[in-house]
Amino acid sequence: MRERHAIGPGDGLHDGISDGGPGLAAAPVAAPLLKLEGLSKRFGALQALQDVSLALHPGEVHCLLGENGAGKSTLCNLVFGVHAADAGEMTLAGEAFRPRSPADALSHGIAMVHQHFSLVPDMTVLDNLLLGQVRGVLDRKAGAARIAAMRERYGLALDPHAKVQDLSVGERQRVEIVKCLVREPRLLVLDEPTAVLLPQEIEALLSVCTRVAQQGCGVVLVTHKLAEIQRVARRATVLRGGRVVARSDAPAQDIDALVRAMIQRDLQAPAASVQAPRASRMAPPPGSPTREAALLADGLTVRDADGVVRLDNFTLLVEPGEIVAIAGVEGNGQSELGAVLSGMLRPTEGRYFVCGEEMTRATPRQLSAAGCGVVPEDRHALACVTGMNVAENIMLDRLDRFRRFGLLDRAAMRREALDLMQRYDVRAASPDVLFGGLSGGNQQKAVLARELTLEGLRFLLAAQPTRGLDVGAVEAVYGHIRAAADRGVGVLLISSELDELLSVADRVLVLYRGRVMGACPTAGADRARIGAWMAGHRDKEDVAEEVAP
Amino acid sequence: MSGPVLAWSRLRPTPALQVSAAAVLLAFGVGALLIAALGVPVGDAVAAFADGAWGSSYALAASINRALVLMLVGLGFILAERANLTNVGGEGQIAVGGITATALALWPPVAQLPWGLAFIVPMLGACAAGALWGGIAGVLRVKMGTNEVIATLLLSFIAIWMVYGSVQSEHLLRRPMTSSATLPESLEIPVATQLPLLTGDAGTPLHIGLLIGVVLAVAVALLLNRTVTGLQLRATGLNPRAARRAGMPIDRLAIGALCAAGAFGGLAGAFMLQGEQYTLKAGFSSGYGFDGLVVGLLARGSATGVVAGSLLFGFLRSGGINMEMVAQVPTALVVVIQGLIIVTLAGAAIGIQRMEARRK
Repeated sequence: MRERHAIGPGDGLHDGISDGGPGLAAAPVAAPLLKLEGLSKRFGALQALQDVSLALHPGEVHCLLGENGAGKSTLCNLVFGVHAADAGEMTLAGEAFRPRSPADALSHGIAMVHQHFSLVPDMTVLDNLLLGQVRGVLDRKAGAARIAAMRERYGLALDPHAKVQDLSVGERQRVEIVKCLVREPRLLVLDEPTAVLLPQEIEALLSVCTRVAQQGCGVVLVTHKLAEIQRVARRATVLRGGRVVARSDAPAQDIDALVRAMIQRDLQAPAASVQAPRASRMAPPPGSPTREAALLADGLTVRDADGVVRLDNFTLLVEPGEIVAIAGVEGNGQSELGAVLSGMLRPTEGRYFVCGEEMTRATPRQLSAAGCGVVPEDRHALACVTGMNVAENIMLDRLDRFRRFGLLDRAAMRREALDLMQRYDVRAASPDVLFGGLSGGNQQKAVLARELTLEGLRFLLAAQPTRGLDVGAVEAVYGHIRAAADRGVGVLLISSELDELLSVADRVLVLYRGRVMGACPTAGADRARIGAWMAGHRDKEDVAEEVAP
Repeated sequence: MSGPVLAWSRLRPTPALQVSAAAVLLAFGVGALLIAALGVPVGDAVAAFADGAWGSSYALAASINRALVLMLVGLGFILAERANLTNVGGEGQIAVGGITATALALWPPVAQLPWGLAFIVPMLGACAAGALWGGIAGVLRVKMGTNEVIATLLLSFIAIWMVYGSVQSEHLLRRPMTSSATLPESLEIPVATQLPLLTGDAGTPLHIGLLIGVVLAVAVALLLNRTVTGLQLRATGLNPRAARRAGMPIDRLAIGALCAAGAFGGLAGAFMLQGEQYTLKAGFSSGYGFDGLVVGLLARGSATGVVAGSLLFGFLRSGGINMEMVAQVPTALVVVIQGLIIVTLAGAAIGIQRMEARRK
């Protein structure tokens, strides 16, 4: 019940934060350092932020949560003066605050560590630190003394004479943080600082956050990792689609509710037909029972260049005609799994088979030849060439078919593309228009048209197939995926839209930090249990099993 | 420079045609003003220019031969450009082509070959050498991520000095020293290895390379626009990762494109040597590689554009040389006019783009 009070839906926030619920009453009563009221920001057609209100207190770590594109970075950029808000007010220590530029924000005592570092690799730590903070004569001695003081105060150890290019990612980030701290900021904004760090580095960073806050500075930590919130957050705010959808004054206890707020679609959004049960779903998959599994993944493990385990011993069997979904908060190994199964990344360990054929070291071309269709997570990076026309994109993997006397048979290509466009309802003026000019939904339908008509299709990997699509397009995409499964294609669906997964898939697995936290059939699935898996909690029985050998 | 040139390359065809015509006229106008400022009667200069560019059948043929060399380099450029690779190494590819063609042509057995093989073999050798030179940059790009602009440019300097070195030593290509006045250059290549003249008349030195060039221009136009390979090159250039996902051999395509560009440069070197100069000298490539690069840049990826641009620049060069000899107008003026054309084209392209953007 406690959680009920602490987590308020976005619409209850207009009356401000100070009136609060029981959770706030328990918090120390201090004037907010920075108060945001009704901030909105629009980029072209995209409403990046809508009516966001927030209060940041001195001496506290405030976590800003949300999926990719939820508006976290935009909010930071408004505070740091990179962009100007379209509407809304900011108050810094009781005074109206409208930063015109990052320099303006800095002079008001706001410092920010960006996702991407802004260091000169060829220079020493010390010189990077002095850069932009000193005018006239360089006083390296005084600078070194300040670095030493940082070590005293925050436990941030740095060799001032090391070159930045020789430092690890974690050390570079420490340089960025020290760069901010030497300015003695009142507010420190960290935009997804842990995305690039090793686990032990994350730990070190979080303790720095705590220390900085203890010194009376306000800290905003942007993240979508839940363990970090539990570790440091005094308060948390969840953004989704540019709105505040939840906030908590006791995030460590509310973690499950925060996760749910982060990943759920708007309540009114799920479309009726997506919810309709699939006809074949209860029936055994068509075909003889001896048919080989569409996909068999055996202990797939991916370590990145820094040795961090991104996917940990992933094992899965997808039967022909079955739709298996991978759920989880983004960044828990789904991208790596998708990259491995589409032939773009070699797993560090483990093997996988498509219809009994080992594909572990297969190239994308060999995968296609084996009947492995892929709808990649990042459509623009991997699935299409926006500078080419629709027909060329739909036929991108089968251009060879249109070779006639050594020349390209454009007429035939156009004809076939037009046919597929009609079958998959790709709305474009003609097959000759630029692919980049299509809407996201039509682009995705075109990609599906290509992948689902792959010759001998037996397995389909669909990663985030509905991201950024409107409800109608979502329906169409799942309609096609289901039809494919009904034809006996095994489907692996990776998505962060839990509602969609539960209505489309037969089984769901949850990934957390690259490991499978749990799996269950979607029929009668317990959302709370799945939510707990996503937050990194195993089932009680599982834990017991693990403990008892 | 890349910004405006990029703008130019993205301009729609109709304004592009008008802009080019206007730019050329404007550049000529400024050129005329400059000539007047030098104190030379503009009429004399124009007469000398026209005489040198197309005044006689000899001048006409010489201009076309120059255009041919520029065209080959330009065709190679747009081929690599389709895969988003910028080959600025035409000069070096001409140089290695020239060296190889000379070496093969001066090798006695080659001159004895029947059925025209005597002149075909050095040409093919030059193509292979150029392809190797371009291919090195391609392999570096694919395997090590070295920027092909840097690689092709630096390889050019190596090649240019290789020409110099090879004509300094009698062990290499230098002609036997008979007196202290013997120039550091190769022997003249045997007649059998020279490109046959189309007219059979040395007064009109149009050679068989013209036919080869026309065939190659058509072939490149077809390859880029009408073949699967052309489409694959484009996909590789626009989005290599998506191209790889779609099963295209992107590494092979990239290396192949630079090899082909190099082979075109090498062939240009063979044409210069076997069709015109007949002896290899230091400074043999004399800037044709870089002029050809400009032709390629201005052609906006179209083979027709390359043909038009190379004819323009070829005639400009011939006319300019004569203008200097007859009317005492420095030939540097031609370079100024070339530069003006480029600047006007690129500048106008940016202007038109802005205008169109504002209209939207």
